[in-house]
Amino acid sequence: MSNHLLFENIDEPGLSSIEVYKRRGGYQMAEQALAMARDSIITSLKDSGLRGRGGAGFPTGLKASFIPQGKMDKFLVCNADESEPGTFKDRELMQKNPHSLIEGMIIAAYAVGANKAFIFIRGEYVQQAEILEKAIEEAKAAGYIGENILGRGVELDMWVHRGAGAYICGEETGLLDALEGRRGNPRLKPPFPANQGLYQGPTLINNVETLTAITYILKVGAEAYSAMGVEKSSGTKLISVSGNVRRPGNYEIEMGMTGRDIIYGLAGGIEDDREVLLWFPGGSSSPVLTKDDLDLPYDYDSLAGAKTMLGSGAIIVADDSNSVVDIAVKTASFYKHESCGKCTPCREGTSWTTKMLKRIQSGEATPMDLDVISSVCEQIMGNCLCVLGDAMAMPVASMVTKFRPHFEAHIEEMRVQNEARVLAEIAAQGNVLQGIAAD
Amino acid sequence: MPRPEIEQITFTVDGREVEAPAGTMLADAAKLGDVDIPVFCYEPKLGAPVGACRMCLVEIEGIPKLQTACSTPVRDGMVVDTQNPRVKSAQESVVEFLLLNHPLDCPVCDKGGECPLQDISFGWGRGETRFVEPKRHFQKPVELSPLIAIDRERCILCYRCVRFSQEVSEDYQLILHERGADTFVGTFDGHPYVAPFSGNIMELCPVGALTSQAYRFRARPWDIEQSGSVCTMCPGQCNVSYTVRDDRVVRVLNRQNDAVDDGWLCDRGRFAYQSTYVDERVTGPLVRENGRLVEASWDRALATAAKLIDAAGDRVGALAGGSASNEDGWLLRRLMTEVVGSRDFDSRPAGLLSAGLQAALDAPEAQATVEDLDWAHAVLVLDTEPVDDMPVLDLRLRKGIRRNGVRLAVATSRPSALDPNAELTVRFAPGAGEAFVCALDAAIGGVGDVTGLAAAAGADPEAVEALGRMLREAGDDVIVVWGERLTHIADPERAANAARALLKASGRLGLLDGRTGSGLLQVPSGGNGRGLREIGVLPNVAPGFSEPAKVGRSSREIATATSAGELDVLHLLHVDPVATFPDRALWQSALGKARGVVAHAAFLTEGVAAHADVVFPSEASAEKEGTVTHPDGRLQRLRPAVGKPEGTLPTWQVLSHLITALGGRATALTSMMVTTEITEAVPFYAGITHDEIGGFGVRWQDRDASEDFPAGDTGPFSLDAPVAAASPNGALRLGSFRSVWSSPEVRHAPALKFLAPKQRAELNPDDAADRGIRHGQRVLVTADGTVVSATAHLRTTSPRGSVFLETGLGDESASALQSTEATVPSMVTVESA
Repeated sequence: MSNHLLFENIDEPGLSSIEVYKRRGGYQMAEQALAMARDSIITSLKDSGLRGRGGAGFPTGLKASFIPQGKMDKFLVCNADESEPGTFKDRELMQKNPHSLIEGMIIAAYAVGANKAFIFIRGEYVQQAEILEKAIEEAKAAGYIGENILGRGVELDMWVHRGAGAYICGEETGLLDALEGRRGNPRLKPPFPANQGLYQGPTLINNVETLTAITYILKVGAEAYSAMGVEKSSGTKLISVSGNVRRPGNYEIEMGMTGRDIIYGLAGGIEDDREVLLWFPGGSSSPVLTKDDLDLPYDYDSLAGAKTMLGSGAIIVADDSNSVVDIAVKTASFYKHESCGKCTPCREGTSWTTKMLKRIQSGEATPMDLDVISSVCEQIMGNCLCVLGDAMAMPVASMVTKFRPHFEAHIEEMRVQNEARVLAEIAAQGNVLQGIAAD
Repeated sequence: MPRPEIEQITFTVDGREVEAPAGTMLADAAKLGDVDIPVFCYEPKLGAPVGACRMCLVEIEGIPKLQTACSTPVRDGMVVDTQNPRVKSAQESVVEFLLLNHPLDCPVCDKGGECPLQDISFGWGRGETRFVEPKRHFQKPVELSPLIAIDRERCILCYRCVRFSQEVSEDYQLILHERGADTFVGTFDGHPYVAPFSGNIMELCPVGALTSQAYRFRARPWDIEQSGSVCTMCPGQCNVSYTVRDDRVVRVLNRQNDAVDDGWLCDRGRFAYQSTYVDERVTGPLVRENGRLVEASWDRALATAAKLIDAAGDRVGALAGGSASNEDGWLLRRLMTEVVGSRDFDSRPAGLLSAGLQAALDAPEAQATVEDLDWAHAVLVLDTEPVDDMPVLDLRLRKGIRRNGVRLAVATSRPSALDPNAELTVRFAPGAGEAFVCALDAAIGGVGDVTGLAAAAGADPEAVEALGRMLREAGDDVIVVWGERLTHIADPERAANAARALLKASGRLGLLDGRTGSGLLQVPSGGNGRGLREIGVLPNVAPGFSEPAKVGRSSREIATATSAGELDVLHLLHVDPVATFPDRALWQSALGKARGVVAHAAFLTEGVAAHADVVFPSEASAEKEGTVTHPDGRLQRLRPAVGKPEGTLPTWQVLSHLITALGGRATALTSMMVTTEITEAVPFYAGITHDEIGGFGVRWQDRDASEDFPAGDTGPFSLDAPVAAASPNGALRLGSFRSVWSSPEVRHAPALKFLAPKQRAELNPDDAADRGIRHGQRVLVTADGTVVSATAHLRTTSPRGSVFLETGLGDESASALQSTEATVPSMVTVESA
């Protein structure tokens, strides 16, 4: 059984209310943190080895240390846009334990000196947004948010802002633009949000899980936290398992558990005892793995070593009843639809790739098209303004490379089918002609 | 924010060591080493780079990913590769991606032959495509506005046009619709994109997606030639490049001169060229015969004019309009002083300032330049509306505020388009500029009583105090952009006192002590107002602001004298005082009484049509030769781009003929000889030649001869500015303005006609409610029995107690109700029609 931190009391009835949360020791860490020096909190975060849980895995303590010192408006933004297909861990956290997020945000805001905090939540999370709004009201009433928190002269205000439904608003700079009321398009970096973020002010942006983890790091101590998991991937990680598994859902694991233990252990194995065809280890934007990769340890570096990524921690499993062609079309279509259109390779590349894949799906392609797809994905990767283009190119390219025989077989099968159909039509026309001739 | 110091650094691009100013973007810096990095979305004029098109990806040593050269500032020792296989592959990829959905209709595309996409595809593309899917389709072309056609299939979504609309002109009309590959450019609600600067997006467009309705299909790049000159329709004097086909101007493009225009043009400057080729234009001399103007030979017209002037002796008055070049003005002056023997000539509609006072205002030490506006700590816009009076200045001010944190204050009577960008706005009563500036001086630390003076100006004393504080505390570099309108007061003492108050306040802020980056910048009411002033086309000022032996009559005095029969002949050089000057009734009477009126005009505007005895055709902007002087002292050269209509003489030659016909010296055989006469007569212009002026002009303040600028003499300053009347018995103060669209060129250019203004009365909604007036309703504005009808236009930002009407609209003009004689603004009543 894994060591639970974030999910420790997750199924406690009424945990979303401040009474139950406080009964479970809630807000003690915030009180403790406000008595600490700001630097020592950041040092704790660095020592804990916590890495951003949103997808990029950037060291959280280091990111917080980039926020400039000095008296000015600074912002803390919680990225709750959770829009990576297959990811639903933040939803559960916000729905069942909103105060742990708020507490983490109070601590993070204090550590970097931010006086205004925003939770940018995806528009579809209506229930979660309402829960958060209520929780913020409770925290304000209890004096944890306000102009003079707990009488310590610390100021923080907090808002929930609902997104209007775009994947790109989960990209941190796109999120900032959307939060400012503009079209959600990613910004050029540098300048990084730490220096010029929201309203051009210093801004710390973190994922829901990352901010929540801060509370627990203070609780167990940086040393104990970093002792969990494996080197360079310390602590626990919330993972969302979905697809053809018996027990899909969110699980909290210690980093380093193998894929097999997750899929066959926690998630109960594959439905109907079928074989794994492929699995996305970190959301639909991660390059896919096959059944041969099941024994990889689930941590940042092991997955990077296998040329994929841990991403948001969303494992999507597809068994051998699926066609890889359909999965590729589905994946590419999603990113084509969500591309903001600002930069050329992503806008044109995702659209082109989708068109080609759909042609393969409907049997109007040749194996040469697979080479063009690989080449187009190659042309997208690393050349875009943000990582959305790569998010399509990486999984699609990995599918075409690892499952080329599947694609070729599909093309051939469709060719034979189409040929038979055309021949049948010609034959039918021939019959008609013969009929006419006979008359 | 002060202008930053920039040091030179050395970096390596494609193996070459190149020196560049630190902080220059790589895309620009590479050019210094003759390395071309292709770009689409990057355009420095638009502000910070966005790195969207990804065309400029390059490899920088030490950075694993390819970087966009447009957004990477060069650093010392940087090593850049723009040629290696990795970069080449990225460049080819982007070109391939951009061409996926681009229709290859170059043979029928207006941009074909001058198209960055063509050039870059040829230079950096693979030359073939692997794309076999259907392309993206849109309805095309559609009207983005009556001036601009948009072809969305050609669009490569660099979104330069959207950035222009959002971040440069700040009209916020253009946006991107939809997302991803479905993205397209349009306006939010599908309304036409009509804005003063909309035409710039066509020049920004790197493909043929935005084309000029007026130029579409008129020429191919190999049919045309470009010819550089300067637009003379307003004091902005933007540098332009005329596109000429078969000796006709078919298009106007910007000719970027950062010291003047930053490479932008207003739509009037861009499309007014069309008025060169309309039937209404005067293309040959006309003479009045039996009450009608009829075509006449040059000999007859010149003889008739000479006879009229000769018969009048020295009882001749002359006016020079703002579009007169220095040469035109100079020869008119010579005609008047040397041949006619009259000093009754003026180049300003109203407001007489002494030579000493004028010299104090125009002193090199007090002069701010247009470029200084980029980096000033604070700018005060005083009694002028840049977007109407000098449009390109509006964009310059927005740029400084947006990019460099310039703090803006606006002090005007009528709400300004810059109000939303201003940290502080102060309103004063129309015509109460003098009292306002006195109050401002007091607020900056002068002797007067701020509260009393502000009340006299109809301004909020607290706002005036706040303005004073802001200007005092902003920093060293403060610039006052002031409208000549401030001194348009008939009483010379009052006009002078307004100027004195301005100088007092400026002096207190340290604007007059020669510091670079601060000072005054006047927006004259005529395009070449400064040049005409400096060469002495004023009744009381000799060339170079020296004192003349004898002082003549000013504009208004000329009108009064002519009405009274004291002057017999009026000589109107590119100006129609009935149409454009205040005191419309007085000028109508003056022109009616005059025994002879000689006019130089491009169009038969109302005063000219009704009263001129001889009309000489004026050149169009593109036909003009000579020099003009920019409001910041930059001499610029006008070069004829096209020939004049057959048989037509340039104005300088007409004036020269008149001088000889009346027995004067024949000295001007070419336009350049006239320029030389001017530079010999104006001490601080000494030695300036056409060559020195060159393509981008030369500021006389930057030359050694500027030491010969005469010392100013401000004269005594008084605080007894007249009190702006309140609104007795429900009467409102009348304020006037002249929109950018009010000119004969706009009325006659087919493309611009739809923008020609109709009279509207701008009212505060509360004042309107008191009178039962609704927005859009017809109203009658009455003063002393004269009635002007207008459409009510309610503006919440309009100050209470005032109504604003436009000038330059014939019988419906504000000038019909206005008199500069009164020292307080005219009072009018407004009622439903």
